[in-house]
Amino acid sequence: MKFSYNWISEFIDGLEPSAESLERIITIKTAECEGVDSFGRGLAGAVSAEVESVEPIEGSKNVKATVLTNLYGRKTVVCGAPNCRTGLHAVYVPVAPKTVGGIVSDGMLASESDLGVSNDHAGIIELTDNERLPALDHVIEIDNKSITHRPDLWGHHGMAREVAAITAKLLREPANLSLLPEAGGPVKIEIEDTSLCLRYSALVFENVTVRRSPLWLRARLTSIGLNPINNIVDLTNYIMAELAQPMHAFDREKLHGDTIFARPAREGESIIALNDETYELSPSNVVIADASGPIAIAGVIGGRDSAISATTTTIVLESASFQASSVRKTSSALKLRTDASMRFEKAQDPHNTVRALARAIELLEELSPGIRLVGGLADSGREIPVPAPIQLDLDWLARKLGCTLESPRVRAILESLEFKVSDDFTVTIPSWRATKDVATPEDLVEEVGRMIGYDSIEPKAPEVACAPSYDPPEREFLRRVKRTIAAQGFTEVSNYSFISEEDARRFGLAVEDHVRVLNPIAAGQELMRTSLLPGIHRNIVENAKHFDSFRLFETGREIHKQKNAKPEEVTHLMAAIYSKDDGRAALLELKRTAECLVPGISVRPTEPRPWEHPARCAAIYLGDVEVGRLSELHPSLVESGRAAVIDLDLDRIPRSIDARYIPIRKFPSSAFDLSLIAGVRELAGVLENQVRDFAGEHTESVEYVREYQGPPLPAGKKSVTFRILAGAPDRTLTTADITAVRERILNGFLALGYESRE
Amino acid sequence: MQDFVDSALARIHAATTADELESVRVEVLGRKGVIADLSKDMGKLAPAERAERGKFINTAKQALESAWEGRKSGFERVALAARLDAEWLDLTVPAPGRKPGSLHPITQIQWEIEDLFRSLGFAVLDGPEVETEHHNFDALNIPADHPARDMQDTFWLEGGHLLRTHTSPVQVRGMEKLGPPLRMIAPGRVFRNESVDASHEHTFYQLEGMMIDRNVSVGNLIYFMKTLLGAIFHREVTVRLRPGFFPFVEPGFELDIRCLICGGDGCPVCKQSGWVELLPCGLVNPKVLRASGIDPAEWNGFAFGLGLTRLVMMRYAIGDIRWLQSGDLRFLGQF
Repeated sequence: MKFSYNWISEFIDGLEPSAESLERIITIKTAECEGVDSFGRGLAGAVSAEVESVEPIEGSKNVKATVLTNLYGRKTVVCGAPNCRTGLHAVYVPVAPKTVGGIVSDGMLASESDLGVSNDHAGIIELTDNERLPALDHVIEIDNKSITHRPDLWGHHGMAREVAAITAKLLREPANLSLLPEAGGPVKIEIEDTSLCLRYSALVFENVTVRRSPLWLRARLTSIGLNPINNIVDLTNYIMAELAQPMHAFDREKLHGDTIFARPAREGESIIALNDETYELSPSNVVIADASGPIAIAGVIGGRDSAISATTTTIVLESASFQASSVRKTSSALKLRTDASMRFEKAQDPHNTVRALARAIELLEELSPGIRLVGGLADSGREIPVPAPIQLDLDWLARKLGCTLESPRVRAILESLEFKVSDDFTVTIPSWRATKDVATPEDLVEEVGRMIGYDSIEPKAPEVACAPSYDPPEREFLRRVKRTIAAQGFTEVSNYSFISEEDARRFGLAVEDHVRVLNPIAAGQELMRTSLLPGIHRNIVENAKHFDSFRLFETGREIHKQKNAKPEEVTHLMAAIYSKDDGRAALLELKRTAECLVPGISVRPTEPRPWEHPARCAAIYLGDVEVGRLSELHPSLVESGRAAVIDLDLDRIPRSIDARYIPIRKFPSSAFDLSLIAGVRELAGVLENQVRDFAGEHTESVEYVREYQGPPLPAGKKSVTFRILAGAPDRTLTTADITAVRERILNGFLALGYESRE
Repeated sequence: MQDFVDSALARIHAATTADELESVRVEVLGRKGVIADLSKDMGKLAPAERAERGKFINTAKQALESAWEGRKSGFERVALAARLDAEWLDLTVPAPGRKPGSLHPITQIQWEIEDLFRSLGFAVLDGPEVETEHHNFDALNIPADHPARDMQDTFWLEGGHLLRTHTSPVQVRGMEKLGPPLRMIAPGRVFRNESVDASHEHTFYQLEGMMIDRNVSVGNLIYFMKTLLGAIFHREVTVRLRPGFFPFVEPGFELDIRCLICGGDGCPVCKQSGWVELLPCGLVNPKVLRASGIDPAEWNGFAFGLGLTRLVMMRYAIGDIRWLQSGDLRFLGQF
């Protein structure tokens, strides 16, 4: 929202701070300002001037004009505008004299563009008699987000009230309610649901002249970003920008019947709006209607068919108040945000409707001379609730702010903001703050706090009980995981939680298993990831353009669809090693990394997933729980080089390991090696488990040593060597004991048809 | 006899190699050497002569051994010096082996702030990324159709859920789980339906903080924010509060810090204002306490939301937010 400095200062006599200081003051005390710009730079020194005579200049399109100004006297200027003529009331700007075509031009006659009040440079400005010139202005832009809770700050008068309170000045009221006629208008108002249309007030005027607005009005609207249209529409916009009360004018002749209805739209109704768009309406939209149908979408936009035109002579001027959430729903359903809807959705004060009409009566006399009121005020609506007063406990207030406060100071602050304060600090909320903004004592903490200035509050450590804080075990666990894997040379990446349908299909993940985003930011981000793989795969492909080998990892959440419940979030770790060799080392390195992260894991053969190299994949187990997968990505997914990945479900891994001391054995153990002949694709891990099973009593450990293929072994066979450690806690084993362990293993394998290498 | 000793001494001194020296030692001082032979005959001598011989042998032996030892350690010194010299290494060659990886800059700053708050007695809590409308909005006093919802463009999921637009729902979950008194922070990933450019991301990180106790004041809030920011920026910072509107706090503030680049004189970073907007905060709205089952007559508190992503960008002078989710090791390897 843009605010004109001159406009604000019209309500405050003797406003001292400049626009720049006002911007800072408002930022600190009220709402965030985004900057100050000057408006109408050319207006500095500009005055109205009468063109006394015009002489052609030979060989030139320009003319020599003699103009008379009050301030600068008589001047001669060279003017190229086609509309420069004798008797014209123009605008003179004292620029440095220059010689044009041999004639000294002392100053210039200005176009609107020259003044910086519009882009119009078709000709010089033509003022009507006695028309006042606007002054150089400054425009302060306020961040809309910082005033969503302040319906009153959507108009200049509301902002002026803040400024007056801050600068301890009196605020002038622009509307004179005594101008309002008696009740009983020439139109009837019928409100179907007064919870949706809280109040509807209207006046009818005749003998209206629709024409261009005077320069000062057009300049003012332009300065705050509104487009001047004609005097009647400009009036409604001006009052909206002044009092935060949106208004609308209908052409009386184009309305059907004498009754104006405020009602939910009927099924199947539509309206062509002022923007020439057609809107299909539903009963959730409130409309203003006449006997034949909708004439406006309530609180949002007027209809085209009843709009003011050059031929309009009688108008119905509407000033209403609508339920904020209803306007907001309609505006977002129709994807139509207007200056009116933005204000109504902040919950405007219903008292304000007639105030705006009173202001209109006064302004219309200037804007459409000869205009006449027809009949009285049409005004309908529900009784406006009186807000409950707030009992303010000053000790409580001081505790909340953390500072001491004198009661006269608090009273003065609240009264400057037009709260009424009784002797016992019962605080009455002004109506324009009562709709949505102020209701509780906490709200008054803010009013007092911002006005005394938060910088006057001393920072103070709280006096609280000393106690250890709750610490979820996941936090330290995740830290340990990340630190450990980073120490193994992996760099942490962070990928989006969104993937595309194409991603899902590429990795053979069922699209229907994914939670869908209803309003994705872009194509390709419509599903929630059920695996970190698509992101990690992208990282691999992208980084392979810059590096021959690398390691990276991500921890993040998989989002899994649940029937009739909130999706489940599972924290995973995925790590990848990219290399350009045969890929064996990378897979074993990842396995080693997994063992560093989760001591005690084992790896088991598994069915390959679609993205995995079918002969290089395995499941990772902790005990009997599958906690992850280890694989090389399918060569079709990685064009150059190879990528090994590990995927761990961190939620299935114990947060901490209970270590317990096992006494060191006092009696020596004996180790012996044993080699078995097995098929080349038999799994060492399986053989090792069998060795352990057969070894039985007195076996301390079984360890894989090496394997060998080649002569003298027959083709298709390999020898696998294990080292067995035998011992007992209470004695040194005899040779017979150790031989017995060895025999049990050998016999076990012989029974299964294996040979030993011995 | 003396001649022999002299000549042996001369040979010891003249030895040019350790082997040569050793052969002299074996010949003279060895178990079957000349000195040993001389000692062997001692028993046959008359007592007086024996004493004299013994004395002579001892003297000779000591002289020879001392000479031998001196010579021997000389050779050892030379040998060691030669070995050491031969073992010369160029330590300026790059170290082989794998360099450690690194943690994402967000992780690093997040941990730093977590540690700071842990030291102040705050719990570090986590919450879901997929949220209910209740936790993300309603319980935070942002009912449907509240204009404040416009401030947070929301990703909606099928099934009526949404991606959290801020870490504030963890406040609600923290209050529900732990109750008052409560000191907690909640770092995490949040989502806004915004187009991505150099300074906007639809996926970024926040850190929410909350303290609930019996008499928490604006003065306490300012104290914590000054402490927090001083620790983050490793120097004293000047903060200011100004009004800001967030439905879950009342009063609500925007907290600015005096620009650390120009010290408040005005520069491009602070857009010439001398202040940099850093975080929203405020006293917890009683409605929010009530929605989480806490009696606002007994308890109150403050809450704040810190843009972790923004802080990381400030700390490391990262000009484009998109690097953070790029997965590009040329970028990530720098931290």
